[in-house]
Amino acid sequence: MPPLDKKIKKFLKNSIRVAPKISNKGELGELRTGLVSPYPQTRKDAIKKTIQQMTLGKDVSSLFPDVLKNIATVDVEQKKLVYLYVMNYAETHPELCILAVNTFVTDSQEPNPLIRCMAIRTMSMIRVDKILEYIDTPLRRTLQDDNPYVRKTAVICVAKLFQLNKDLCVELGVLEDLTKALDDTNPMVIANAIAAITEINSMDSTAIALDKLIQSHVSQFLLALNECTEWARITILAALAEYTARDSLEAKDIIDRVTAHLQHVNSAVVLATIKVILKNVTFLDPNQYSPDSKIMKKISSALVSLMSTPPEIQYVALKNIRIILEKYPEILSKELRIFYVKFNDPMYIKLEKIEILVRLVDMSNIKQCTLLLNELKEYSMEFEPEFVSRAIQALAELGIKNGNEMFISKIVDIINNELLERGLETVRDDCCIAMSNLLRCCSTNETMIQQICSTLNSWSAPEDTLTTDLAKCHYIWLMSTYPNHFPSVVEKLTAFVTNFLQEESLTQIIILTSVIKLHSRLEGSVLQNIFETATTHDSVELDVRDMAMIYWRCFSMEGTNDQLINDLCNSSLPKVENILDKFSPETLEKLLTELGTISSIYFKPLDDDTVNASRKRRQIVNQNIIHGKQLNELQDIAKNELSGGHEDVLLDFGDDDSNFINNNSNSGSALNELDDLFSNMNQGVNDLNISQQTSSTTASSENTNKTSNATNTQDLLDLF
Amino acid sequence: MASALYFCDDKGKPLLSRRYKDDVPLSAIDKFSTLLLDCEEQSSILPPCISHSGIDYLFIQHNDLYIVALATSLNTNVATIFTFLHRLMAVLGEYLKTVEEESIRDNFIIIYELLDEMMDYGIPQVTETKMLKQYITQKSYKLVKSHKKKRNAARPPTALTNSVSWRPEGIKYKKNEAFLDIVESINMLISQSGQVVRSEIIGAVKIKSRLSGMPDLKLGINDRGIFTKYLEGNDIGTSPAVEEVDDKAKKTKNNESSITNDGKKARSNIELEDLKFHQCVRLSKFENEKIITFIPPDGDFDLMNYRLTTSIKPLIWCDVKMQTHSNSRIEISCKAKAQIKKKSIATNVEILIPVPDDADTPTFKYSHGSLKYVPEKSAILWKIRSFPGGKEYSMRAEMLLPSISNTEETKLKRPVQVKFQIPYFTTSGIQVRYLKINEPTLQYKSYPWVRYITQSGDDYTIRVSNN
Repeated sequence: MPPLDKKIKKFLKNSIRVAPKISNKGELGELRTGLVSPYPQTRKDAIKKTIQQMTLGKDVSSLFPDVLKNIATVDVEQKKLVYLYVMNYAETHPELCILAVNTFVTDSQEPNPLIRCMAIRTMSMIRVDKILEYIDTPLRRTLQDDNPYVRKTAVICVAKLFQLNKDLCVELGVLEDLTKALDDTNPMVIANAIAAITEINSMDSTAIALDKLIQSHVSQFLLALNECTEWARITILAALAEYTARDSLEAKDIIDRVTAHLQHVNSAVVLATIKVILKNVTFLDPNQYSPDSKIMKKISSALVSLMSTPPEIQYVALKNIRIILEKYPEILSKELRIFYVKFNDPMYIKLEKIEILVRLVDMSNIKQCTLLLNELKEYSMEFEPEFVSRAIQALAELGIKNGNEMFISKIVDIINNELLERGLETVRDDCCIAMSNLLRCCSTNETMIQQICSTLNSWSAPEDTLTTDLAKCHYIWLMSTYPNHFPSVVEKLTAFVTNFLQEESLTQIIILTSVIKLHSRLEGSVLQNIFETATTHDSVELDVRDMAMIYWRCFSMEGTNDQLINDLCNSSLPKVENILDKFSPETLEKLLTELGTISSIYFKPLDDDTVNASRKRRQIVNQNIIHGKQLNELQDIAKNELSGGHEDVLLDFGDDDSNFINNNSNSGSALNELDDLFSNMNQGVNDLNISQQTSSTTASSENTNKTSNATNTQDLLDLF
Repeated sequence: MASALYFCDDKGKPLLSRRYKDDVPLSAIDKFSTLLLDCEEQSSILPPCISHSGIDYLFIQHNDLYIVALATSLNTNVATIFTFLHRLMAVLGEYLKTVEEESIRDNFIIIYELLDEMMDYGIPQVTETKMLKQYITQKSYKLVKSHKKKRNAARPPTALTNSVSWRPEGIKYKKNEAFLDIVESINMLISQSGQVVRSEIIGAVKIKSRLSGMPDLKLGINDRGIFTKYLEGNDIGTSPAVEEVDDKAKKTKNNESSITNDGKKARSNIELEDLKFHQCVRLSKFENEKIITFIPPDGDFDLMNYRLTTSIKPLIWCDVKMQTHSNSRIEISCKAKAQIKKKSIATNVEILIPVPDDADTPTFKYSHGSLKYVPEKSAILWKIRSFPGGKEYSMRAEMLLPSISNTEETKLKRPVQVKFQIPYFTTSGIQVRYLKINEPTLQYKSYPWVRYITQSGDDYTIRVSNN
C-alpha cells in the first residue's frame, strides 16, 4: 500500500528519531548545520543547544543569521526560542539585531498576543538609534492594543525606550500615551504604567510630573488596589505613599481603604501598606493613633507576623521595625517574646533581634526587664563570638536604659561572676566595656566600684590580652578614674606607656590623658617622656600630637597654673543616660518615607548626591548606544562582526565613588565613647548627643578635640 | 527595581543570568564571589545584601545556589525583591521539582522563559504557577520523555490580566472535591527548668481544590474570625480568665453545638488579628464583615496563615540531664512525657540530644523507640514511632570522652530539638464550621474534607543545663 508507506516515511522524516541529533559538544559547525537543517525538530533542537552554549558563556554570536532564519515560523515555541537568543545579544551585539528589525515589525502585528509582546519587548531593548526609530508604529499600536496583556507590556516598553533615548521618546509623544494608561480599565495596566512612570521620573524628574499624576489619580488607584495581582498592589501602594492627603478626612479614608492589605500574605504588600498608613496617620487626631488605637494594634500585629517569614524578609522587617520603633516606641511593647533569638536564626537576624529587644523593652515594666535580662544572659553564654559580644553590649544597654542601681548591680554581678568565670579570654574585651559603661551610670556606688576594679586589677598584662581599641580605652580610663582601687595601677599604666607607639590613636589619647591625671603618682620622667614621644614621633597622628602639645604647655607654664592642672586632673564625667544609637529627627522622618527600600536597610536616607550618582551612572551607560550611523553602515559592521573578531562594544566604565558603609552605628557609638572620655578634661562640657552623622574617626576626633580643649586653649592664648 | 537576576553556584559564580535593565556593567556579577569571600573573612555575619561600588547585591540562598538580584538605586524596594526571589524559587520548584545547580544547568531554556514572563524591566509581573503553566509550554528536563507536542499555539490566558488572575477558566473535574488541612506548627523554647520561655502557634489552612468552573467559596471558622481556644483545664494550668469567660463561652457553645466534641473543655475567646490571606481572599470583605470568601486557585495552596502567642504547656516535654565527668565520660538521661490528651497520640517523635563533638563509644539503655548516635550532627537521636498522651518514657546513654582535651574548648550550647506530629488535634482550637461551595453556572454538589494536625515547628527546642 503505497499511501501508507508514504505516510510512514513522512512521519519518520519529521520525527525526532530520524532527524539528525545534535551532540552536546556544542561545536559551532555542528550547530550551524543543525540550524539550517531541513528537519524542523533538528532546527529547534539546534536553537536550544545554541542557547545552552550561550548560557555557558560561549560566544555563539556568529550563528546569529542562521538562528534568525528560524524566526519566521508558526511554531510559537520555536519563535520564543529565537527571541530568547536575540534578546540576549540585543545588549552586547546591537548591530546584529538590525538584521531582524523587519521581523520584529511584522511580529508586532501577529494575532497571537504573546508574539506581539515578545516583538515589542525585544525591540525596546536594542540599543541602536536607527532601530529605535522603527519602534514608533509598533509601540503606539501595542499601547492601544485590545489585549490588556499586550498593553501592560507596552507601557513598560515606554520606560525602556526612555532610558535608551530620551529625546526620541519625547518626540514620539508616547509619554502622553503612558499617562493615559493610568486611566486604563485594567488594574494591571494601571500598575505597570505607574511603575514605568516612576522609573522615568527617577531618570529625569522633569520629563513627567509624577506628583501631579498621583494626585489626580488617587481614586483610581484605590479602586484598582483590590483587583490586581500582589505585585501590582505593591506598585500602587508605593504610589499612594507618595501622595499627601489634603485633610484628615481624606487621610482617614485612605487608611481605611488600605488597612485590609495588612493581612496580605505577601510581606512586601504588608510593608508597603504600613508605609501608606504611617504617612497618613500623622494627619489624624493624635488620639486616633495612640499605641492603644485599633490601627496601631493592627500595624503591630502585621509587623509581628513578618517574623515568621524567610530570613531575608525578616531582615528587612527588623531594620524597618527599628525605624518605626524610634517614631512610635510603644507600638510593639507587648510583643517582646517574638523577638527572642531562635537557635537556627542566621547570625545577621540574631544581631538585629538583639538591637530590637533592648529598644523594645518597656522600662516601667520591671517584670519585662527581668525577663529580658535573663534572656540576654542566656545569649551571652553562647559560643559564637559576634553574638556573645553583642549580647554583652546589650546587657550594658539594658542596664543604662533602666537606670536603677539595683538592676545595674544585678547585671554587673552577672558579668562579673558568671561570664568572666567561664574563663574565656574572648569575652574580656566586651565585659570590660560593658562594666565601665555601667559604672558610668552609677559612679558613686562604692561596692560596685570595688567589685569591678578588683576584677579588672586581677587581669595580668591587660595591654596584651585586651585586643580592641575601645576595651583598652575603657580599661585605662577606669584606672585613671579610680586609681585607689587598682593596687598595681603604676605598673599597668607604665606598661601601656611603653606600648604607646604601637597603639591606635584612640588609645594613645587616653594613655596621654591618664598619665596627666596620675602624674603625681608616676615618676616624673614618665610624663616628660610621653610628651616628647607624642610630639616628636612622626607616626603619631596630628590630633594626638596637638593634644600633647597643649598639655605640655599647660604643664610648663610657671607657678600660676596649679589650679588649672588640678581642674584637668580631678574632673568627673556626666552621668550616662543612654548608649543606644538614635537617628537625628530629619533622618528619621526621611527613613520613615523610605520603608522597604534599600536605603532603609542601611539607614542611609536618599539625598541628592546619591540620586545624582545613580542618574549619572545611567547616562554613562546610555553613551554606549550607537548613535548617528546609517543603517547600511551598521549592516556592514554587523557583517564584519560576524566574520571577524568580536570586539566588545561595551566601554568599561569606572566604579562609582559612592560607597555605602554599613557600620554607621558602630562608629557612632565608638565616637560617643570617645566623646565621653574626652569630656574628662573639660568640666563645662554639655550633654553629649550621640552623633550618627559623623563620617570618620579622624574628622570627628578633631572636632572633639576642639570643643574639649576650647577653654584651655583660650587660657593659653591669653597667656602668650 | 532589579536590574538583573543571576543564578550563581555555591561559590558565587554565575550560572545563568537575565538582565532587565542595562544600568549595571556586565562584569558586576563577577565581583560577587569575591564579595562573598571578603564578607566571610571579616566575620561570620553574612547579611543578604552587600553593597559594592554603587551596586547592591541582594541575594537569597537555596540549596547550593545563590540567587542574586542587582540593584543600582537605594530607592529600590528590597522587600519586593526578596519576596519575589522566594516566589521565583517556589515557581521553579513546581517546574523542576528540586532547584539546584544541576537542575538549573539542565533547564536553561525554561528558566529563561519564566524569568522573561515573571519580571519585566525589573518589575514583577505574573508569579502564579497555575497561570504560567498555561502558556509557558517548554517542558522541563524531568518531563522530556512524556513530551507531547501541543497543536494549538500558546497564548497568554485571558484570565491573566483579569481581576481573578490566579485561576484559568474552563477547569473541569468529574468529581468536585475540596480538601482542607489545618496544620498547626508549634514553636517553643523551654528552659532547662521546664519553663516556657517563648511559645507560638503558627497555623496554616491549606486547601487542595479540585473544583470545576469558577466556584465561589465561603469558609466559616468558629465564630467569624474569632477563634476559640481550648484551655485544657488541668493540663495547661489554671488561668484566671477561664472563669470569667465561662458564661460567655457557654453561650457560644450552644450556638456551635455542632462542632463541640469535647464538653469538658473550658473556653475563652481570643481574637486572632494576625491573619494572613492568600491573594484570592477578598480582603475588604473580611475587613468589613469578617467573612472569608474567595475564588480558589486550582490545586494546592495556602488559604490563610495565622499565629497565636498565648502560652501553652509543652506538648512533648523532655527532661534532659547531662553529667560530664571531665576527661572520661558523659552521662545523659532523658525523660520524655507526652503532655497531651490521653486519647491523642503523638507520632514520629524525634528527640535530638546534642553531645560533645569528641564523644564516642555510646552505650544506651531505653524502654521505647530506637536510639542511635549521629556523629555527623554530634547528637543522639531518639525516635519514638507512637507516643500516646500521658505516657512517660525514659532513656539513658553514656559516652566516653577523650582523656586529653583542650582546656579552652567552648562548651556546648546547642539545645535539644524535638519533632513530632499529633493528628486530629489543633492546639488553638480552631474549627471549620462550614465550607460552602457555590458555582453559579454549573451548580454542582461537592463535599469538603477537613483534617487537623498539630506538629512541631522548625524551632521546638529545650535548653540543656551544662554540668
